Amino acid sequence: MPLSTQSQDDEEHYVLVASLDNARNLSNILKAITFKDHAVFTATPNGLKVTVEDSKCLQANAFIQTEIFQEFTLKEDLVTFQINLTVLLDCLNIFGGNAVAGTSTALRMCYKGYGYPLTLFLEEGGVVTVCKINTQEPEEPMDFEFCSTNVTNKVILQSESLKEAFSELDMTSDVLQITMSPSQPYFRLSTFGNSGNAHYDYSKDSDMMELFQCTMTQTNRYKMSLLKPSTKALALSCKVSVRTDNRGLLSQQYLVRNDDGQICFLEFYYCPDEEVEEEEEE
Amino acid sequence: MGCVPKQSSKTVKCKLLMKSLLPLFRCLTSIERNVECCQISVSASSDWVIIQFFCRHGITKTHNLRFQEKEALQAEFASHLCTNVLKAPARLLGDMVMHFPVFQEEITLSATPLRFSLRNYEESGESQVKMMYTEMSLHPEEFEYFHVDVNSEITFCLKELRGFLSFTESHCLPVLVHFDSAGKPVCFSVEDTLFEASVVLATLIESKSTDSIQPVGIQVHATSRYVDAAALRVHACEGHGETGRERITSSQGSTVSPQPDPIPPLPQTQQANKESISVNTSPASSMVCTLLFKALSSEHDDNVCAATPPVLAGYSDEEMMEEFCPKSPSL
Repeated sequence: MPLSTQSQDDEEHYVLVASLDNARNLSNILKAITFKDHAVFTATPNGLKVTVEDSKCLQANAFIQTEIFQEFTLKEDLVTFQINLTVLLDCLNIFGGNAVAGTSTALRMCYKGYGYPLTLFLEEGGVVTVCKINTQEPEEPMDFEFCSTNVTNKVILQSESLKEAFSELDMTSDVLQITMSPSQPYFRLSTFGNSGNAHYDYSKDSDMMELFQCTMTQTNRYKMSLLKPSTKALALSCKVSVRTDNRGLLSQQYLVRNDDGQICFLEFYYCPDEEVEEEEEE
Repeated sequence: MGCVPKQSSKTVKCKLLMKSLLPLFRCLTSIERNVECCQISVSASSDWVIIQFFCRHGITKTHNLRFQEKEALQAEFASHLCTNVLKAPARLLGDMVMHFPVFQEEITLSATPLRFSLRNYEESGESQVKMMYTEMSLHPEEFEYFHVDVNSEITFCLKELRGFLSFTESHCLPVLVHFDSAGKPVCFSVEDTLFEASVVLATLIESKSTDSIQPVGIQVHATSRYVDAAALRVHACEGHGETGRERITSSQGSTVSPQPDPIPPLPQTQQANKESISVNTSPASSMVCTLLFKALSSEHDDNVCAATPPVLAGYSDEEMMEEFCPKSPSL
């Protein structure tokens, strides 16, 4: 529903205007990457990318394509800024976080460019709220140089099967070990906790396994604390692709369907734990 | 699925931390939905218990748990020698204990051929003003089986009983209660086609003639084995001193002397000094335990059990004893 409260002048000055009939199509996906306060927004003709990083070991990206928006106008090839993600989410949910059947918050997000705040026009049931959130100098997101040519192992699983495993993971374990191999155990998640260790094995023939392409046996460990944020993304998603490259870098890509059934992506990159690998306990 | 158990002829005993084991079986709905077969095995060469869940969709979950130690405590109790036996649906007993406050530690079970009651127990000396007294009684007809030969009043820990009853209620099993006079253990047990379970609890001996609590001997705690009463008398102090140190929740270990020295009969029991009275049981609180210790020493002075070696030799916490038995002579 177009908001008629803006003047025509402003329209010409905005370098980015993005509108959504249902703000939840943005807020739901952003919730999955809100493990840090600040995020870098990058707008390109393809759509919006929101990046959050932690300790130089973890990077999460949310992709909301142009097609998701009811309006997406970009006057420059690349518009980027850093913003407080927690504040942004609070604004998106300003009419209450709970989804009430039949009502939705409409959003118009406008940005005049470097130095200007991000302006949000939110409307629900005839009530309009205007929020202006300060933007910051964007930090350069890390480039993990994860490219498909370096991918050694890749699996695509239905999220259902992983959701349970992740909810049961032994949190007393510092690391999550992922083993991917063309032979047994194929795809294994392992924890090493106070009382013992646990292994979750997914057979390559499992009907939960949509794709299985493993070329070599690889075992890598990742800090459990870094993996925790991805459980929100897992909860939202219907499919997940897990890839490792020759350096042991882990990439998780989650396919999320929003309220209107449209597809968005969430992506997480993890650096492997640098500690010397111990003898694997069987 | 083809889950074939591989048996070895060796019996393996081991102890696992409940904290490690319970989470594996916590989510019952998900287990019912996904798990096709669960295999539990013990690795002979190393100290691992291996629990494997073979789930749908080709998923296998393997948990390797370290076990704590290979020794197990043995409870020895001959329920067939008890004079009083009751049988009631778990629900009946559960409904009764439900009325006691959550913090209630001990309750007193009182049984006569005509009446059964449960009431809360407070050690004498506690402030009487702040207390809420609860008593529930049942007519013998409410029980499936009610056989009380000897009037008896026994006091034992409620917490263990509550846990047991909530387990048996969920299985809708009738509970058998075997007990005797105060001081002798009480046993609550259930049996099913798949398993049998029992909880043996120590009971308090309370002498109304003196204010102090008389000690009693062996602490036994939950296994599904019963032992001859005779065997109860034979344990050496030293050996069980070690076992006694293992405290499980509020239970306390102790042993009695092998000599069947009579302990003066208590007013409320109508039983004469049986030999097995030398085996007495105490409820499990550390405070009571130290009291027991003290009381034995005073018997020593009274020349009753001159040659009785001290029970609970390992627990000489003198400060605590002074606090609870100020009148007793020091050790």
